Amino acid sequence: MSEHAVDRRDFIFRVGTGAGIAAIAYQASASLRSLVPNVSYDAPTTVKLGPVAEFPDGLKFLPDERLFVFREGNTFHAISAVCTHLGCTARAEALSSPETQQVGGKALRLTHRFQCPCHGSKYNGDGSNVSGPAPKPLAWYHLSLASDDGQLVADLAREVEHDFRLTV
Amino acid sequence: MAQTTTSPGVPRQTATAPGVHPRPFWSVRPQTDRQSGDAIVSNFLLHWFPAKTYKPSMDWTYSFWLGTTSAALLLLLTLSGGPLLFLYVPSVERAYASIKDIEFAVTFGSWIRSVHRMAAHLMVAAVFLHLIRVFLTGAYKNGVGQGQRREWNWVIGVAMFLLTLLLSFTGYLLPWDQLAYWAVTVGTNIASSIPVIGPTVRELLLGGRAIDQPTLIRFYVLHVIVLPGALGGLFLYHMWRVRKDGGLAKADAVALLGDRIETTPVKTKTYTLLGVARGTAPAVRTSTIEAPDLTVNSVPDLTRRIAIVVLGTIAVLSLLAVYARSPLEEAANALVTPNPAKAPWYFLWLQEIVTDTTIRIGSFTINGAFIGGVVLPGLLVTLLTLWPWIDKSPLAAAGVWLPRTRRAQNAAFLAIVAIVIVFTLIGTFCRGPYWNFYWPWQAWPEIPTRL
Repeated sequence: MSEHAVDRRDFIFRVGTGAGIAAIAYQASASLRSLVPNVSYDAPTTVKLGPVAEFPDGLKFLPDERLFVFREGNTFHAISAVCTHLGCTARAEALSSPETQQVGGKALRLTHRFQCPCHGSKYNGDGSNVSGPAPKPLAWYHLSLASDDGQLVADLAREVEHDFRLTV
Repeated sequence: MAQTTTSPGVPRQTATAPGVHPRPFWSVRPQTDRQSGDAIVSNFLLHWFPAKTYKPSMDWTYSFWLGTTSAALLLLLTLSGGPLLFLYVPSVERAYASIKDIEFAVTFGSWIRSVHRMAAHLMVAAVFLHLIRVFLTGAYKNGVGQGQRREWNWVIGVAMFLLTLLLSFTGYLLPWDQLAYWAVTVGTNIASSIPVIGPTVRELLLGGRAIDQPTLIRFYVLHVIVLPGALGGLFLYHMWRVRKDGGLAKADAVALLGDRIETTPVKTKTYTLLGVARGTAPAVRTSTIEAPDLTVNSVPDLTRRIAIVVLGTIAVLSLLAVYARSPLEEAANALVTPNPAKAPWYFLWLQEIVTDTTIRIGSFTINGAFIGGVVLPGLLVTLLTLWPWIDKSPLAAAGVWLPRTRRAQNAAFLAIVAIVIVFTLIGTFCRGPYWNFYWPWQAWPEIPTRL
């Protein structure tokens, strides 16, 4: 038997310690795992926004959905009010002189700009970030008409390109 | 009953079995030598502190007693948190109303809440100043003692500073007012900006993907159980280490200065009182390294000062809380972000940093939330933690204010502190609606609160 051989006392000590550590580690990880939510009770991402007639020409802000809905005659588009920096709700500010620009290859009348109250990010009327800490433009969301009652429907899980327009 | 004829002043016959303390409480007015001894041996405060303390360690202008003040504030927070635990309801429907009740309906409620809130604010300040003091005096450096581990106590201290901030953060979320709601929004989105694991971390913090009941109960349990438990445990270890490291670094500085004076055997009653020697004054050979003219008995010299600081803190805060009313913003409203939405003062420098650190290289952008909210604070904390191993200044620089040998590092440290303070001041006084810059004397523009 060599000098470094594990004797019975050492062996039992190591087995005991190992078992204790394994048990505590397993119980701790089980406790922590229970805190990771398996079910999410999020609000649905597909939301009916109301009848088309309720949307005036220009901007309507929907605080519950944190969504700016724009109407220009028969076309609609929707821009998220969630600031891309840290998630505060940006506010719209009407421009004194609205201008028409090419957005996504299509003409778009820009009537507002957006500013975030938390850290001062500024966005153009098409949601593109112009100054402040915002790292990317505001999201555009998909709009459609409900098949049952014809209400305007926003899909908050489906981002779209800036050429998206819904024509009714 | 009539058989017990114990008259005042006459020692009662007590059991003499070893290890048995025959009285219900400790001996406040000892009547035998044995009781006097017991009063010392069983007194936790006297067990906490050494028998002798270096006089220079107790100088008001060396430590400014900031650690003791922090501990006193922690005590006050624990005490004032007690009644609040009974009165506050951690539910998104009722939290705000219960705080309103505490503020306006509960007798002494607003005072208790004010004590809790002011103590929290002051504790952040006191702990921060304590950290600055320890850095500037190089008090994390090991001196002449064998086996000192002061650098580890510094690391524990940094951890306690972070816990203090986390306790403040989780605390001001509980009223579930506008400040709370948008602080959770911003705070958890900072976590979410970490690449790869960010969204998972946010989901774990929120208990879901939206800020709701699971979020409130998580922050509540962190605030009342997990974080205070961790802070309490570290506090005990912090104190134990101070004792095991031979007191403050100042003591080492003093010991380095002069020759050690050998003391002749002195006649002492101590060992009789402890019950380990007989006679009223046995001569005991002592081999102390302490210079007698520089040391005092911890009781009462040290305990008196501790009492002054702790009781003074309690007195000042109790009065302050009478006059300083605790604000409460409007109830949490997920629909409206306040403008401006400001963090409490001790996080305003971070709010300022996350505003200014979005990096753009061509079309490639890194969110300031990650740079300013995670990377920079992470670097600062890492640097702070490792500093005792980076600091190569000589031993004589420990326990001394602003020594020449540490001039460069003290200057660098103070520069960072100054930046933090300047950013805090800008955030507090110079930021208006949309986080635009306004001088304090400039009026903010009128902005409609709702679209």
